[in-house]
This record gives sequence, C-alpha cells and structure tokens, in this order.
Amino acid sequence: MSTLSQLTSMTWANFADKPVLETGATVFAFLAATRISRLGGNHPLLNPTLLAIILISLGLEATHIPYEVYLRGADVIHFLLGPAVVLLAVPLFRQRAVIRASARLIAVGLAVGLPVGILSAVGIAWVLGASSQTILSLAPKSVTAGIAVGISEQIGGLQTLTIVLVIMTGITGAVLGPIIARLARIDDPRVVGLTMGIASHGIGTARALQINEVAGAFSGLGMGLNGVLTAILLPLIFRLL
Amino acid sequence: MLEQIARVLCWLCVGEIAARSGLLPFPAPVTGLMLLYAELTVRGKLPDDLGILADRLLQFLGMLFVPAGVGVIAYLDVLKNEAMPILTAVIGGTAITLFVTMVVVNRLGIAIAKSRKHESGQLEGAEGDVNS
Repeated sequence: MSTLSQLTSMTWANFADKPVLETGATVFAFLAATRISRLGGNHPLLNPTLLAIILISLGLEATHIPYEVYLRGADVIHFLLGPAVVLLAVPLFRQRAVIRASARLIAVGLAVGLPVGILSAVGIAWVLGASSQTILSLAPKSVTAGIAVGISEQIGGLQTLTIVLVIMTGITGAVLGPIIARLARIDDPRVVGLTMGIASHGIGTARALQINEVAGAFSGLGMGLNGVLTAILLPLIFRLL
Repeated sequence: MLEQIARVLCWLCVGEIAARSGLLPFPAPVTGLMLLYAELTVRGKLPDDLGILADRLLQFLGMLFVPAGVGVIAYLDVLKNEAMPILTAVIGGTAITLFVTMVVVNRLGIAIAKSRKHESGQLEGAEGDVNS
C-alpha cells in the first residue's frame, strides 16, 4: 500500500486510541488564547483559560465529539494538575522571609478573607435559591483552581462547575480589586495584593503584579495560603455538618 | 531533574494514599504541597532543579484546567437556570470579600506602623536622656 493511500484511509479511529489529537488541540487552543489575551493587553476579561475552554467547547460542538472522548485524550494534561499543585510549595517557600516579616498582616487577612469569601458566596446563593449542588460547587470559588477542584470533589460539588466559577471569581476580583482599593482609599500595595490573592487567586495575582512587585508577591502568598487553609478547613467543616 | 520529578510524584503519592484511605480529608495534591514545603523547611534550601521545574510547570498552570473546565458544557443548563444566583454570588461575594478584607487589613497595617513609630520614638527619647 502506498503512503498516499495509507494517509487517505486514515480515519478518526486511527487517532481515537492515542491522545495526540486531544492533547494537541488543548495546547494549541491555550496558545491561541494566550495570543488573543496578549493582543488585548492581558485584560482580565480575556482570561486565556476561559478563552481556551470556549474554543475547545466550540470545537467539540462542531465535530460532535463527546466530552468523555476528549477528556480521555486530554487526560495527560489533566494529570499534570496534581504535580503542579504540589509545586506551589516552591513559590511559597521562596517567600518565607516575607511571610515571617508580615506574619500578623497575613494572618489577619486570612482570618477575615477566607471565611468572608466562602460565607458571602454561599450565603447569597442560598438566599437566592440556588441548588445545593451549585452552592457546594461555589464554596471553594476563591481558591486557586487546582486546589478548588480537589475541595469540590471532597465536599460533593461538581468539579467542572467549580472550575468555571473559580475563573469567574478570578476575573471579578482582578477587575474590582483596584477599583475597590481606590474607593476605600487604600494604597498600601501589601494590603491590596494580599486581599486580591485571597479573594481571587491566580487571576487576581496576575492583576496585582501589574500594580507592582510587592503587591504581586503578597497576592501570590494570599493565594497559596488561602488555598491550603481552605483545603484543610472546608472538608472538615462539611464533615462536621 | 529526574530526581525532582520523582520527589514531587512521591509526595503526591503519599497525599493520594492519605486521601484514599480516609486518613486526611484534604485533596491529595494539597497534602503533597504541605509535605514538600515541610521537607524544604527542614532542608533549609531549595534545590535549583526543583525551582526550575516549578517555574516551568507553573508558567502554564492555566492550561492544566482546560480539559476539566470544558466539562462545563454538560452543565450549561445549570448555569443558565441559576444564572442570577450564581452571578450575584460570584460578583457580590467577591466584592464584599475584597472590601471587608482590605479595610480590616489596612487598619491593622496602619496600627502596626504607628506602634513601630511609637517604639522607635521611645528609643530616640531614651537616647536623648542618656545624652543629656
């Protein structure tokens, strides 16, 4: 058989048992999303993860490929999420001097921001009559997505819904953070950064880095510590309930 | 480098065992994160290769959520039906969290700065007494 006829006889089935297509499509979509985001000056509304999710969803819709088939193929990328979360220990360790120097500020920020973040979202959703599944998926919304999916699974929420809610929260925090700081007349970059990290994780941290380096460092700290503490506290609270 | 990959997978594995056996209710990667942090604290320094590995992987952390995030297409009905409570909770909740946390932490920051100034003021005063 000639190479040409081999090529023309290739079908979806040839690809279906190899994750090349799904992994490639995911990487390509994210790359394209990053470019689009950069063209828009990295505005928080042009979040690359959200854009890539939309691109892939449209692609699956157009080609009628079921989500389960895509996920099986893209599992390689999904798997890397675990090691990546473990590696969040590295930036936290690098900032240990900052943690020690501003321990009181950081502790108070977490003592206020962590419970207010969960209770405000859960409370509003409950009052407005959201389903319990939605409320559980909302609870870890301020936590960085890698940790939030784990928490969502532990307490019985929907992982995929949590990811989208987490991204929405990040975008909201990145947009509102500097505005609220201005309204409240707060210009201490440590305070603004820490709060944005606690309330809106990585997307807020990316925005805080645009304010200045100090705000970015405190935001990264707020995100990491809030993620770990919420992962410890939220499942324990739900176990007691 | 391979050694660092092994280190990360090893702590992740311990976390997974702790989670599956019901020993710890935390997500496995978070247990792994805490164990790695504890190990680094005991060692007192960060191996170069581990720093490089972390920087490389965390650089495209945002991509790693995409496969799971696409799953939301199965729940578009939920998002549509509960759009009002979800949007209000996300936007309102985040605004409340930002405002309350910023105001409280800022008060504390001002108080700490004042007490430091007060302490150093007393020190200067003491020096003045010695000099006189």
